[in-house]
Amino acid sequence: MEYKNETIAIEGSWNLASWEWKFESIALIRKTFEAMKNERKLMANKCPGCGRVYFLPKPYCLCLSIPDEWVEIKDTATVTTYTFTGAWAYEGIADDEVSGTPQIFAGVVFDGSDTKTVTMLEGIEPEKVHVGMRVKLKWPEEVAGGLTDLAHCVPLEE
Amino acid sequence: MAKNEVAVVGVGLSKHVSKRRDVNIAELVWEAVSACYEDAGLKPKDVDAFATGNMPAFEGVNLPEEWGAGHWGAYNKPLLRITTGGTTGGSVAHGGYYLVGSGLFDTVMCIAFEKQSDGNSTMGLNTVALADAAAQLQLGVDPGFIASFGGGAVGVAVYQASSYMKSSGCTTHHLDKVSALCRNNAALNPYSHLKQPGLTPEEVAKTTLLQYPIRFGHVCPATDGACAMLFTTGEKARKLTDKPAYVLSCASASDEAALVGISGSGTTNVDPCEQESCKIAAARAYEIAGIKDPRNEIDLAEPYSPFAHQLLMFYERLLLCDEGEAPSILDSGSMNLDGELPVCPSGGVISTNAIGASAMERVAECALQIMGKCGERQVKKDVHKAVAHGWGGAVNLNVVAVLSDTPRR
Amino acid sequence: MDKEVAIIAYAQLPYEADNNMSREVMVLKATRAAIEAAGLKREDLDTVITANNDYNDGRTISNMRLVEPAGSWHKNESKVEMDGTFGVLYALTRILSGDHDIALVVGESQASVYGGILPGIMMLDPTFDRQRWLLNEVSAAALQASAYMAAAGVSAEQIAAVAAKNLDNAALNPFALRSLKGADAKKVLASRPLYSPITELMTAPRCDGACAVVMASAKAAAKVEKPVWIKGVGFSHDSYVTERSLDSMGSLKLAADACYRQAGIEDPASQIDLAEVHECFAHEELMAYEALGFCEPLQGGVFFDSGATRLDGKLPVNASGGALGANAEYATGLARIIEAAMQIRGDAGRHQVKGVKTAVAHGQTGICAQENIVYVLGGE
Ligand SMILES: [Zn+2]
Repeated sequence: MEYKNETIAIEGSWNLASWEWKFESIALIRKTFEAMKNERKLMANKCPGCGRVYFLPKPYCLCLSIPDEWVEIKDTATVTTYTFTGAWAYEGIADDEVSGTPQIFAGVVFDGSDTKTVTMLEGIEPEKVHVGMRVKLKWPEEVAGGLTDLAHCVPLEE
Repeated sequence: MAKNEVAVVGVGLSKHVSKRRDVNIAELVWEAVSACYEDAGLKPKDVDAFATGNMPAFEGVNLPEEWGAGHWGAYNKPLLRITTGGTTGGSVAHGGYYLVGSGLFDTVMCIAFEKQSDGNSTMGLNTVALADAAAQLQLGVDPGFIASFGGGAVGVAVYQASSYMKSSGCTTHHLDKVSALCRNNAALNPYSHLKQPGLTPEEVAKTTLLQYPIRFGHVCPATDGACAMLFTTGEKARKLTDKPAYVLSCASASDEAALVGISGSGTTNVDPCEQESCKIAAARAYEIAGIKDPRNEIDLAEPYSPFAHQLLMFYERLLLCDEGEAPSILDSGSMNLDGELPVCPSGGVISTNAIGASAMERVAECALQIMGKCGERQVKKDVHKAVAHGWGGAVNLNVVAVLSDTPRR
Repeated sequence: MDKEVAIIAYAQLPYEADNNMSREVMVLKATRAAIEAAGLKREDLDTVITANNDYNDGRTISNMRLVEPAGSWHKNESKVEMDGTFGVLYALTRILSGDHDIALVVGESQASVYGGILPGIMMLDPTFDRQRWLLNEVSAAALQASAYMAAAGVSAEQIAAVAAKNLDNAALNPFALRSLKGADAKKVLASRPLYSPITELMTAPRCDGACAVVMASAKAAAKVEKPVWIKGVGFSHDSYVTERSLDSMGSLKLAADACYRQAGIEDPASQIDLAEVHECFAHEELMAYEALGFCEPLQGGVFFDSGATRLDGKLPVNASGGALGANAEYATGLARIIEAAMQIRGDAGRHQVKGVKTAVAHGQTGICAQENIVYVLGGE
């Protein structure tokens, strides 16, 4: 008897559409978004157990307490990690790879909070970005009350 | 102080390629398992318990050992399924260490595998974050917008790489060198996937840039493959082989997910290159192993590095040098097969990544190097102590094992 | 194993159809309650094992989001993708190895998230059984029930009476999801028919829930009041559902034999005071009596009819109501360990059985109880 040298493939997938997850974070984050829209404030939640401040707010803490105090944090921040898209001028890169405007993504920690938010940096050349650099949230003209309001930061001149 | 000394007496690997269409999951695993029985000179009847794991979203089979383990010799035997994402293989090996070390079992077969070509790898990876993306949809956020922040094709690794480069002085040239080193080692390993003999850093530098600073040549392939290891007591091991590899210690540590917290909340893991949990796990593992000076006592390292920068970053986080020193150590040639502290002689994860199996293959390579079974890729120096590492989750779990040619005292 | 590893504290959340909280907050509540019950702090934990399933949780690497809620941040953490009873086994080996002193094990799932039978269907042989859509966890259990009934001469009424016993017991358990005070076989048989001979009240109702136990080495348990010692453990993997005889629980028998050897139990029927069995379906409890050695093979029905396993019998089984009272998958077996420990400590409240010194707890994973694990627990 001869076998084919390939097994027969049968389609099958994990249909995740029928899973319905539950979240406390949605209500918390909505509250922060509302404060951004109505008062132009960044509201974070603070853990009573260890004092960590979460932005965006988080329903539970590393120390097993529930962060339940709302505190205002500043819109200035420090870069803790970054990357940029597309090609850029760093050593060894060929010219033909440089195309379009690179977008710089950065993880920043807003002053007064202990957590990272991912945002885009504007008004700076990619090679000048560094971990530890100071930035400031660029509030949109009209605050929509959503994550897009937090999409851009600019270098902070100090 | 484990009740039993724990030793590795056999290692088996399947053929590793991108698509194994000639076998199903159970058959692929059997390749590794049968090779392992043969390597150790044992039969399924000699095995007291099994530990197994994979990352089940990749194949779309829930608890695949329910269907397959009967074919691996586990019928009517104790079996423990351990799964921790990218670290799964390492976690399964740790399971073997504890099952034997506890004194409850003498001989344990550990099996880790992934058959990525059976499923959809992108789908498999998406399921990691789909629940959180669903929450963000609830907040009215465009999923494309979120994806753009995620770091595109290479995800959190790009953030990690640029942070690491900034803090260590590692350049893109070092990344190219890491890839060349690993792929050349892989060319000597019959069980590796991407073999590129003679690959130069200059050639790596010409591959497509995915996202700064990571190029196509700095990234692991998707592999089908399986790995099996037989753990037994020191006493039994010495009867089976002249040169067993002893497992001195295993330790793990977990961190908060690095890129975004749950469903968009903040995360205190603010810099994905810090890898505090790796340092914690390594320090714990060395302490249990009785290693006071890892820099001088460790002879070989297999850090889990699907991305080039991670080989250097984890070399540092495994406390094998000061932070920021790894790039110059790479330049010195110390990490080469004939160097002072060879790194990833197997070719590493950057050359072969059968997800669930990868972290076990690190432990397996350390064992094989200690046992002197590595053929062409056997490192020049005598290997007395080696460290095997695994990394996974959303940059949040590190597992470390220390192996040796002499038992723990 | 004599006084080497103890269960020093535990916590269960009330089992609910939809507990209206995220998986993470649910786990945090169980974790915190267990740590507090142990009189410990998060910092005291050496190792944390979570027991859950990616397909149930709808998340790949589902332990990743439990790092904070399970208290495992910067801890030696791992995940067992099996029932929590197997998580306890892993924690036990970690403590016995000498590397760890205090372990936390958490089991959890939320049926309100994963809905019904899909995770079970994904367990089937993908090349054949899954394609036919004939087998699922319930239809496979129905085949198991029929095979057992034919072999042991057990009637549907007897199986229904087992369900009635457990549902009646569950009325005394404040955590139970479902109970039926004064239930009888007739009521059970009259409930919605699923796959013959199984009716709805014979199945363990999937629900939301989490529970946690804290375990400690002898050294760490020295100052603990009323430690519950693990005296023996055994577990075994059976072959795939279509490849084995379904009329008995072979792997449970092997597991029990290994466990009893370790615990020095020679005559389980007289040496065991109480058992908590993980019966996903009522007939599995009868099969478990035999495999656990409470009666001779094929005598499960006769043994049940003797009344021995009722709350006031000589070997009460599932005084808590068992899995028929609540089935938060991956936590269900762990809850059996907790219930057995509560009985030994005398903390079981309204369903407390008098004089429980030695108890058996059983857990299972897989279709038709493919993987089984048995513990013998005892007090001072
Ligand atoms: Zn806190």
